[in-house]
Amino acid sequence: MLRIQNLDCGYGRMKVIDGVDFEVGAESVGLFGPNGAGKSTLIGAVMGMVKPWKGSIELDGQRIDGAETYAIARMGVALVPQERELFPGMSVYDNLVLGAAYIPHAKDDIPTQLEKVFTLFPILKERRTQCAGTMSGGQQRMLAIGRALMSKPRLLILDEPSLGLQPSIVAEVFEVLKRLKSSVSILVTEQNVRESLKAIDRGYVLENGRIVLKDSAEGLQTNPYVIKSYLGI
Amino acid sequence: MIVKRRVAIIAALSIAAMTALIVWKPTVLIYGLQAAGLYAAVAIPMGLVLGIVHIVNLAHGECMMLAAYAAYFGCKALGMDPLVAILPTAIVTAIFGWVVFQLTIRRALKAPELNQLILTFGLAIAFSQAINLIFTSQTYKMPLEYVSASMDIGDISFGVWSFVFVAVAIIFAYGLTFFLTKTMTGKAAVAVGQNPRGAAIVGIDVYRTYGLVFALALALVGAMGALFLTKSAIFPGVGSPFTMKSFCLIAMAGIGNIPGILGASVLLGVAENFLRAFRPTRDWAEIVFFVLIIVVILARSLKGRKS
Repeated sequence: MLRIQNLDCGYGRMKVIDGVDFEVGAESVGLFGPNGAGKSTLIGAVMGMVKPWKGSIELDGQRIDGAETYAIARMGVALVPQERELFPGMSVYDNLVLGAAYIPHAKDDIPTQLEKVFTLFPILKERRTQCAGTMSGGQQRMLAIGRALMSKPRLLILDEPSLGLQPSIVAEVFEVLKRLKSSVSILVTEQNVRESLKAIDRGYVLENGRIVLKDSAEGLQTNPYVIKSYLGI
Repeated sequence: MIVKRRVAIIAALSIAAMTALIVWKPTVLIYGLQAAGLYAAVAIPMGLVLGIVHIVNLAHGECMMLAAYAAYFGCKALGMDPLVAILPTAIVTAIFGWVVFQLTIRRALKAPELNQLILTFGLAIAFSQAINLIFTSQTYKMPLEYVSASMDIGDISFGVWSFVFVAVAIIFAYGLTFFLTKTMTGKAAVAVGQNPRGAAIVGIDVYRTYGLVFALALALVGAMGALFLTKSAIFPGVGSPFTMKSFCLIAMAGIGNIPGILGASVLLGVAENFLRAFRPTRDWAEIVFFVLIIVVILARSLKGRKS
């Protein structure tokens, strides 16, 4: 699915990602690390928003480093960004439809995908005519996830999906991730490691732009470094 | 509730003012509406570009001037009426707009706003000076009989041709609103205008959309250029006042508010003709839009400070 090899990238002269090797197969993978570790930059590089300096990014064997964001999205990579990046003046319905309208393999299945998204997030069906910008932060997060799912993604990337949400909504978001992982490859970056480890198969720990640890979810849960640094036990 | 009340008050005051004008100086209202149609039809495409591409195109009026010249010489060469030239001129200016966008504006989209303003200002100068060099500052006009058609109501006589601009403004406003709210390409354009990063994430080619919107705006301006030819003489500087007035109308209406542009145009057109009715020998009317834009900016600043 997604393979990153020896990747360096950053902003201006500042290197943020330093020689990262990373893989996501048909599974659910977590990427953990403190603030400023480079998680969002790594995702930006996968989505074509940050241009790599060195190394390669492949999707199903095809190089995507250097490709434009819209082209990567059309290949089947859907992103749920930290800032949600919705269309605030448009209705929930229009936001969802636009999630699929420009994706070649999804644009003919919009009604089916809408029903699937409405089943996962019934609140979006109730508020389908409401302006996205007037919804609460949690509802907007659900809409961002729903919009990403509309594109029938091969790889779903979620950047800090629990950020700024109340605990009940966080639990709902992770519950949805657990339900999705059998049907789509998932890459999730999180600071809420405890909740994430329940929803993923494998995980990486990124610090100062480097992968310092990789293991299965069970392995990370029992790793003394992870327990001390991220689980706060 | 407060907004609805405010709209109702503005509507009631507008109706009262219009009624008073009909009784007192009916020609002010008639010619004011005709001017409003022309202003709105030229301003709406500029509003489209500003609302979606987020660029103030200071070459907007000059693009209309170029289209008018193209239509004039096309009509002369082929023996066509300017009305027949509307569609071909729109197509030619759309292509021209696409090329101008790709060669110049696209490269300045990530630059600071001042650079973008300087770029489009430079384009405006380049367009008007190129026409000046090629065709000199001589004026050109199409002799058309049908534009002098007039109508008598009671003891008032007035030209009716300029009402065509009112019709065109309404067609532009409704057509664009339909395009932006009912078609997928239009919705994608709105999405790009609201959040270009979010649009790219869902697979929309942002720069292609910008290019399409710019070309569409120039197609509308091109159509207006051919139509403008029926009413006025053309010369290299004929477009520049329309740039300023269009910007003034968009500032009054608010970015992305197409119906607001229609309302602001009526205000500007009627106010200009109101002044002309009392100062026919000196064209004080040209300062109206300066006054309006200063009032709008002051009002917005005070409102912003209060909130």
